[in-house]
Amino acid sequence: MKKNPAKVAVIAAATAALSLILVSCGGGSGALVIASDLPKQGGSADQSASTNNAIKLLLKQMNNMAGTYEIEFREYDNSTAAKGSWDDAQCAKNAQEHVAAKDEVAVMGTYNSGCAKIIVPILNQDPDGPMIMVSNANTNPGLTKAWEPGEPDKYYPTGARNYWRVVTTDDNQGSAAAQFAKSLGVKKVYVLNDRQTYGQGVAQAFTTAAKALGLTILSDGPAGEGWDDKAPNYEALFTKIAALKPDMVYVGGIFDLNGGQLVKDKVKYLGDNNKVKFMMPDGFTGYPDFLALPEAAGAYLSFTGLSIDQFPTGGAAEKFQADYLAEYGVAPTSSFSVYGAAAAQAILDAISRSDGTRKGVYEAMKTTVIPADKSVVGTELKFDANGDILSKDITILIVKDGKETFQDKITIK
Amino acid sequence: MAKRPISNVTLSNRKWALGYTIAGALLFLIYQFLLPWNGLPDGIYRGVYQWMPPAAVNESLVYVIMALGLNIVVGYAGLLDLGYVAFWAIGGYCAGWFMSEFFYFLNIHFFGSVGLDRPGIHINFWMVLIIGGFVCALFGVLIGAPTLRLKSDYLALVTLGFGEIIPQVFFNGENFFGFNISNGTKGIVIVDPIPVGVKNLGPFDFGWKLLIFILLAAVMVFISLRLRRGRLGRAWLAIREDELAASMMGVPLMRTKLASYAVGAFAGGLGGVAFATHVNGVYAERFNFAISIFLLAMVVLGGMGNVWGVILGAFVLSWVNGTGLVAFGKTFNSQFGTNIDFASFTFLLFGLVLILMMLFRREGFLPESRLKLVLNEDELDTASEAKKAKK
Repeated sequence: MKKNPAKVAVIAAATAALSLILVSCGGGSGALVIASDLPKQGGSADQSASTNNAIKLLLKQMNNMAGTYEIEFREYDNSTAAKGSWDDAQCAKNAQEHVAAKDEVAVMGTYNSGCAKIIVPILNQDPDGPMIMVSNANTNPGLTKAWEPGEPDKYYPTGARNYWRVVTTDDNQGSAAAQFAKSLGVKKVYVLNDRQTYGQGVAQAFTTAAKALGLTILSDGPAGEGWDDKAPNYEALFTKIAALKPDMVYVGGIFDLNGGQLVKDKVKYLGDNNKVKFMMPDGFTGYPDFLALPEAAGAYLSFTGLSIDQFPTGGAAEKFQADYLAEYGVAPTSSFSVYGAAAAQAILDAISRSDGTRKGVYEAMKTTVIPADKSVVGTELKFDANGDILSKDITILIVKDGKETFQDKITIK
Repeated sequence: MAKRPISNVTLSNRKWALGYTIAGALLFLIYQFLLPWNGLPDGIYRGVYQWMPPAAVNESLVYVIMALGLNIVVGYAGLLDLGYVAFWAIGGYCAGWFMSEFFYFLNIHFFGSVGLDRPGIHINFWMVLIIGGFVCALFGVLIGAPTLRLKSDYLALVTLGFGEIIPQVFFNGENFFGFNISNGTKGIVIVDPIPVGVKNLGPFDFGWKLLIFILLAAVMVFISLRLRRGRLGRAWLAIREDELAASMMGVPLMRTKLASYAVGAFAGGLGGVAFATHVNGVYAERFNFAISIFLLAMVVLGGMGNVWGVILGAFVLSWVNGTGLVAFGKTFNSQFGTNIDFASFTFLLFGLVLILMMLFRREGFLPESRLKLVLNEDELDTASEAKKAKK
């Protein structure tokens, strides 16, 4: 019989794999590791790189120490090139690796709420744990509070709540936007959403809150009408809306989903943003392309947490901005990056008061408080029993001269 | 015709089973017993987790199952399918529907792996596998039927359409004529664990899950190899090589093509259910066109029509995509003190590999002998003509 090429290939592959394994033998240094779990490829790549940089800077400033423990930082990527965004299989794999890496005590992440819903239950069932995860960007309410059937308990099979986040949830953003709309004197609102988890969540929260405040919602459905991100234009949509004569159009969604065309057509068919007000959530913040549109002028944006220019001055927050600029030569991409450092701050505080085990860090995290003058975002980092942050600040911005300019700050009680 | 012993059921055709079992058992032993063993040197433990973590092996096996299914449609029957991800989606949502609390207003239990008090539909994993497989096979036939009269590019376009439509239905499925069939982009999260008689497999039982996935892949290998040898398989090959000639020789085109769609889709169902248990959820965002192309690349790169080639292709590509390049980047950066983001070069690498393969080895890593002949027909012809001329 002639030699089977399959066998040769298999043996070659096995040998190669083995030699790689042996080459990569690296010894542990005894330090505790905190990991970040972010999408480093695709549209969020810059944001994630900036977040990792912010955390590295924070660690450098603390001399890589938390209390008496030496700290190392490890980056995980939860996206793949084949998908071009966060990848569910990658999230599952990372979760397993966090648990398997014996020196890891905590995870900073994730950026996408969907990914968190895969990782949190696995970290929750860690036999040495639970292992904690603190997110800088998940805004889906279901992760921490009753939202859809079975939420949030289904993410915590052992009952231990091992998840925290330093930004507030979509429902708060929606209701803050509704309060702001009322303060503008708006009576009738048409609500649009991008048909995605985030956009629908915000639009639904806005609709509910606006109704409770006595505003008239002209659109049908709990989250308003969905826009088709593949449509060439929105003439039909806005002609229909124009007939209803709204005072405001609220858009729950992200700019990536053909938001540019949507904004242009809104102004084209409904008039400028002074005549018919226009408002979006933080899915539209931080996009230079959006701000460059002449049609964006006068549009209102809301943002969970504080925008960078609204961080309180004089304390750690201002210093951190200056240090970041000095270290990397550019400002952080958006405040989500700085919130990443804030999440790491909370984790490091918990580690410093723990016995260095995952369980110890989990227990310590429950009582973590970072006072406002020490926090890199300038507001107190204190959490409720669900793991949600207590300071529920929502910033309202207005687009003026191609810039996001501060308009108002709303604090949800 | 004289009755001869059926030649394709000889021992040598079953020899693969032995090799496969040994390889599978070895993988299982390594990941189930060796890896958690306390005496294992720390370096090897880290090495394995960096270069070949258990979850990556399991994910690769899911890709193997899918690629084997696609191989039946593309590799055997020669019907270019650019929308295979649709079957993955349907299989995945079968798991989402029948193995979770998604239909929270119902309370149906059938040998499920969770307590009877839990709302939703909870059917046993093994049955859901079969359900998923057959639902997909049904959709395979439904999708296949209108495309029967089309060939090559036109067929590819229609399959592309289906591959876009079905995931879009799930994507927007939160309000499907008033019903929520998919929970939209929020996905269906937390799928029931796999019951194996004595216990339910938790998130850290990858060894056992690995064994199950190896078993499922083995089923697909068996189906592929046996069908190929049989009447149906030979009819597929005949269609692949010359549809007109095949129909003239009495191959029923419609039945044969539909069979290939059905069998191929069946694998998509198995893989979809397996993948849902692997990630513990179903997300609509996964099912995009890029994944169809990725699967097709596995088949083409590995060797269209050759089961072992396809397995190799699936392993290599999914490994590079998920683990390999990142692990290589880490090692390279720490070795040379650089800070290069290797993962961002994945597409460049894929593109380069595809171009090189098409230039130098069109038939794939482990080509099917028959296909190799077909692809090199011209060269062989010119060679033999040259020979003749010499004479």
